[in-house]
Amino acid sequence: MHTNEHTAQIEKFIIPIGPQHPALKEPGHFEFTVDGEIVTHASVRLGYAHRGIEKGVESRNWTQNLYLLERVCGICSHVHATAYCLGVEKLAGVEAPPRAQAIRELVAELERIHSHYLWLGVTAHEAGFDTLFMYTWRDRETVMDILEAISGNRVHYSANILGGVKFDLGEKEAQTIRQGLSFLEERTHHYLEVVSQDALFLQRTRGIGVMTLAQAETIGVIGPTARASGLARDVRLDDPYAAYDRFPVPIILDDRGDLSARVVVRLKELLASIETIRHILDDLPPGELTVRVPRKIKPGEAISRVEAPRGELFYFIKSNGSEMPERIHIRTPTLCNMASVLTLAVGHHLADMPMLLAGIDPCFSCNDRGIVVQYGGDDHDHWTWERLRQFGIDHYKQLESGVF
Amino acid sequence: MKLATLLKDVWQSLWRRPATEAYPLVKPETSARFRGQLHYNSQGCTGCCLCNKDCPANAIEMITLDKKNKRFVLRYDMDQCIYCGQCVQNCRFSCLSMSPEEWELAAAGKEPFTVYYGQEEDVKDVLAKFTPEDHPEAAPR
Repeated sequence: MHTNEHTAQIEKFIIPIGPQHPALKEPGHFEFTVDGEIVTHASVRLGYAHRGIEKGVESRNWTQNLYLLERVCGICSHVHATAYCLGVEKLAGVEAPPRAQAIRELVAELERIHSHYLWLGVTAHEAGFDTLFMYTWRDRETVMDILEAISGNRVHYSANILGGVKFDLGEKEAQTIRQGLSFLEERTHHYLEVVSQDALFLQRTRGIGVMTLAQAETIGVIGPTARASGLARDVRLDDPYAAYDRFPVPIILDDRGDLSARVVVRLKELLASIETIRHILDDLPPGELTVRVPRKIKPGEAISRVEAPRGELFYFIKSNGSEMPERIHIRTPTLCNMASVLTLAVGHHLADMPMLLAGIDPCFSCNDRGIVVQYGGDDHDHWTWERLRQFGIDHYKQLESGVF
Repeated sequence: MKLATLLKDVWQSLWRRPATEAYPLVKPETSARFRGQLHYNSQGCTGCCLCNKDCPANAIEMITLDKKNKRFVLRYDMDQCIYCGQCVQNCRFSCLSMSPEEWELAAAGKEPFTVYYGQEEDVKDVLAKFTPEDHPEAAPR
């Protein structure tokens, strides 16, 4: 009996993927234990794209941080800036004017369209459907052009400033947006048809990675991944920020919970976003664009939550009354959704893994933050700054004394 | 994809020009709000330095020659600039602007990236008077 167990352990076959791998767009390390083609266990190691942004904000003033935090993510840069601005405004006890809040929501929804289009392309590419990938990315240019026309930049729009927004929307800009949106709406309907009828795409998505509502609740997934399992979780509705109370977004749910449902939910969200943007343009509140925010922010702590294209984005901001923040902590949606990939991987073919991962729309560099050290077994430990510093000192002392 | 849709798309694509831009043969038009190279007009500047205080990339430096007679020179490092437009937003006297036309800023060396703005004689003064030793921030990098 003992020998059998021993043999079984030896025969465990682990396939390491990453941190550098053609299937990954960003660095991450995955280990899939396989029995033939079927995955029996999966684990992940993150942190390869850690950039020290949270430490960096402590040595910049409140305004400078806006631009640093915008660069946490290159796809959803505006929601990061919005989350930060809303938090700082809450701490300072000011509120941006209604027109500014509406423009914030409008840019956020345009950004969601750009993000979901990008994601559809990546997913199509992972599924081996490169034609769809190239078509979606061609059409994505339309929304990038709209964003450039209204903000002046394609990627980091820098729409926000503390206390409001930088630019106004006139009739000319509204016309540009409306024109682009009608084209995108037509294309989205077409893609919705393609992803629910194309036999090849359905083979890669239907019935793959099914997550039930109960599982979704247990794992704690958020964003479109949760909504594709019928879990009604959306910060825009649960805790409206910016102008979402005035211009609400309809929630898109699907109860199938598989990859196909995640694609359909995101595509339907595009239509919902397009509709919301039209409402905002029709009924843009008049008034000022900014209010004055003091250079020094009152001491205190604030929590700010917004709905990024991938799910809930969480900001913790602490001020000590000076020109610089004392601490800012960011939790991005990828961290919450990553557990679902590991759980759902079990029982699937190894070839489904890139699709499963793409299904949550991961963003590794957004996600990589703290330092987690694993030593032996499954024992995880967070290191404090003091302990890490001591570890470094000891390490170099040992190096000098020639132990290594 | 249905066959009819496919054929229709193929037919339409045959007569359509490529989706890619013909750059550098044709310079694409940028939007009027595009944020390109920064420009500074020393007329009206009070030397409050709010522009360089909030610059997230430390790309601008205000060199004050004579505050009373309003002699200011602005050193602008294009390679450090992230083109966010915060300085333009901060300036209460509209001395700063970003050009939507000038965005082809690539260069092989570092020198073209450092630009001095201000009255001609003031810029000459800055370049002549301050040697790198006693005024390192004003010296060309």
